Amino acid sequence: MSRNAEAALLAGAAVLAALGVSIVRAAGGDTPDAQTALTFLVVGLAFGSLHLAFRQWAPNASSYLLPLAALITAVGLVEIFRLDPRAATLQRWWLLIAAGFGIATLAVLGRFGTDLLLRYRYLFLTAALVTFMLPLLPSNWALGGVEVNGSRLWLQLRLFDTTIVRFQPAEFGKLLLVVFLASYLASRQPALVSMTRKVGPIVIPEPRQLFPLVVAWAASFIVLVYQRDLGASLLLLAVFASMLYAASGRVAYPLVGGGMFLAGTLAAAQMFDHVQRRFDAWLRPWDDFADTGFQIGQSLFALGSGSLTGSGLGLGRPDVIPSATTDFVFAAVAEETGLAGSVAIVAAYALLVAVGFGIALQARDPYRKLLAAGLTTVIGIQTILIVGGVIRLLPLTGIALPFMSYGGSALVANVIAVVVLARISHEVST
Amino acid sequence: MNTPIRRLAFVLLAVLGLIVLDLTYLQVIAGPRYRDDLRNPRLAASRSSTERGPIVSREGIVLAESTAEPGSGQTFVRSYPEGPAYAHTVGYTSLLFGNSGLERQYAGELSSDSDLTISGIIDTLLGREQGAQGIRLTLSHPLQQTAQQTLGDQTGAVVAIEPSTGEVLALYSSPSFDPGVLLGESPIAGDALAADPGVPLLNRSIDQILAPGSAFKVITAAAALESGAANPDTLYSDPLELQLPGSTAVIRNADRGPCAEGTEVALATAFRLSCNTVFGQIGIDVGAEAIGSTAEAFGFNSEIPFDLDVVPSVFPTGSLIEDPPATAQSAIGQRDVQATPLQLAMVAATVANGGVVVRPYLVSERFDRDLNILSQTNPVELRRAVSPGTAAVLAELMEAVVESGTGQAARIEGVSVGGKTGTAEIPGEAPHAWFIGFAQSEERSVAVAVVVENGGNAGQAATGGTVAAPIARAVMQAWIES
Repeated sequence: MSRNAEAALLAGAAVLAALGVSIVRAAGGDTPDAQTALTFLVVGLAFGSLHLAFRQWAPNASSYLLPLAALITAVGLVEIFRLDPRAATLQRWWLLIAAGFGIATLAVLGRFGTDLLLRYRYLFLTAALVTFMLPLLPSNWALGGVEVNGSRLWLQLRLFDTTIVRFQPAEFGKLLLVVFLASYLASRQPALVSMTRKVGPIVIPEPRQLFPLVVAWAASFIVLVYQRDLGASLLLLAVFASMLYAASGRVAYPLVGGGMFLAGTLAAAQMFDHVQRRFDAWLRPWDDFADTGFQIGQSLFALGSGSLTGSGLGLGRPDVIPSATTDFVFAAVAEETGLAGSVAIVAAYALLVAVGFGIALQARDPYRKLLAAGLTTVIGIQTILIVGGVIRLLPLTGIALPFMSYGGSALVANVIAVVVLARISHEVST
Repeated sequence: MNTPIRRLAFVLLAVLGLIVLDLTYLQVIAGPRYRDDLRNPRLAASRSSTERGPIVSREGIVLAESTAEPGSGQTFVRSYPEGPAYAHTVGYTSLLFGNSGLERQYAGELSSDSDLTISGIIDTLLGREQGAQGIRLTLSHPLQQTAQQTLGDQTGAVVAIEPSTGEVLALYSSPSFDPGVLLGESPIAGDALAADPGVPLLNRSIDQILAPGSAFKVITAAAALESGAANPDTLYSDPLELQLPGSTAVIRNADRGPCAEGTEVALATAFRLSCNTVFGQIGIDVGAEAIGSTAEAFGFNSEIPFDLDVVPSVFPTGSLIEDPPATAQSAIGQRDVQATPLQLAMVAATVANGGVVVRPYLVSERFDRDLNILSQTNPVELRRAVSPGTAAVLAELMEAVVESGTGQAARIEGVSVGGKTGTAEIPGEAPHAWFIGFAQSEERSVAVAVVVENGGNAGQAATGGTVAAPIARAVMQAWIES
């Protein structure tokens, strides 16, 4: 597929977003207004400029990445607009900011190549750890942490008693960690593969080589405990385990990591009420429908009410689902577009994941393979965790659905992830 | 390194595939179940875009109706003109709080959405009426108002039944609420109702079981008479207190004295004066099994078939069989015996109806937009609880209670009134005051149950005869004289 086809598809995504906003307006009995034009312009401008940046700094990159991201972003913007037009306005700004960060990232990588990231391995590790800890800053500082819904994930910049901006540093921390792990694991790969020690019938690698796994487990558990965020810690562990497996080919890593995490989670469920409540809501939502089961119950009602073809944009009641623009945006889309829409969205994510792993398979060295696989895993696992949570396949974890949930930090981080993937795919053929 | 990456991709894509399968299940296969779940607020939302049929009282007074919102042909607003008087029975359909009462049970009949079921399509082709149906209730407006006024701000319930047909003439629970406040877009009023310590949302006539106290003696007497071991003239010893066998506990009468002279007393007198000592002894003599099976014949320990869900009343036969002291206390309606006002009204109705239990009902007919009657409810005899002879004796015993016993406050001049009072002791609280009974004139008859929780305004001084009987009298009179 050529860059021109990519441009055409991106224009299609902008038209889709504008059309969706018009339909929402029409469903409310209004005629299309400036919102339609603004949506078209912002989606067009953001992805159009990213497209031009691709032409400049990654001309041979896969041309599937941007259209898929644009499609999902467009659907998300429409649903956010339908639920909360004010949030949609903010999200449009965030999309422009995300495009700006994406272009800047691509410009830097285009100038120095992806090897740049390889060079400052431990800088990235330090940066990652710092970003995870940032929300623990005292909340009365100008730059301090804030607790929202019982989770301390947010960092806010306050000047003169006005909140200038709020964001979740962990969204960027994930990417920094993936970069570190890719370069670290790529250099240690032979050691990880050789299982030299025997404990009874089980062969294990040098204990020294297990060190990253222990760090991974500890880091994810610390996040779970101190920031009360089951989702982020699950995601971290899954990404660690996946990348270790990709680097070593040893199933033992994900198995042991998963087992340790399971033990940690079960212990946490005993110790912390909010984790216990998540499990109750997952396993027995109808027992305490008025309280713990309310969210997931509303989500299931939305899915069931959507049926095959949905209520139509603007004609359902996704507004009765709590957190409909963020955690439950998928349920809102599934209600209004039905199974047809929800499966299309899952298919779009599946394609994005497939393209990402395709890039990893073709990448020219272990470092790039691991980086591509890691970034793809971040996007894939987040999708699985939150969509699985919303449809009660998994316990609900408050994680943003990539490109779709309302939220600026996640959007910026995901655009950067896609841009890095694009650059890796460009470097295959250079 | 490509093999593990390929496997990793396969695992993630497989899970996404699993998600698609689960979505198919949730949205299509199990979808209708979630869509039609009564807790799904979309049900109420979708109904507000279609007209819903009216609910009217026996006399045709509108209790619930839909009116088109001015300026929009699409949205209908439900209103409840009589508000608190019918709140628990009629219920509500609220976007925020779901639905309840008959609005919930008859949601299908009341809403007009012609669906695409095969029968719906055939009906449409044949030009059959698909519009919203209305329902007419058996509830009588004067009785419902009387119940509301006489209970006042006391906590309790009133149930009135036509004994031979089972038509429920009054079903009122106090404190009540205005269902209109639940209809708005704001949850504040509804949350306040839900948090109200007086629990106004609870329908005390059918959703709550309480100790019936001496009102239960009707059933104990019925069991004694049916067993053949006793008749109204059977003499029992009249102790100051009944020493319970194998136990240090005693049963005393309400006035702490003997029932009559302190020597011997007839069953009829003991019933008229509501003597606990004698009925405790009768309980021991007749046994838990006989009392239990009589109670069950009246409807205890099973769900009463009704238009609304009714909490089953309880007589724990199994735990009493080896326990004569507990049986004695249960025979006077204390301990673990618990009943709904509807159940006790059915006991009185069954006595007035010659011993046959009739199914109670609230909805007498369904009608279409042009007021053509679509269906009518016919009375259903459920079973015989006691023989006609026993029923006649019980009626006489109950009439004596009102004539010259504890229930004289229920007397209505020129009308044959029977009843039984109950004053259920609650440890640490004022007693529940009960009256169950019936009134029969040439043309009309009615059976009632009244409970005033924790003595109402009378507090500790309350008895069934002083607090509940006057309310029952007012309600019965409203029916007999209407």
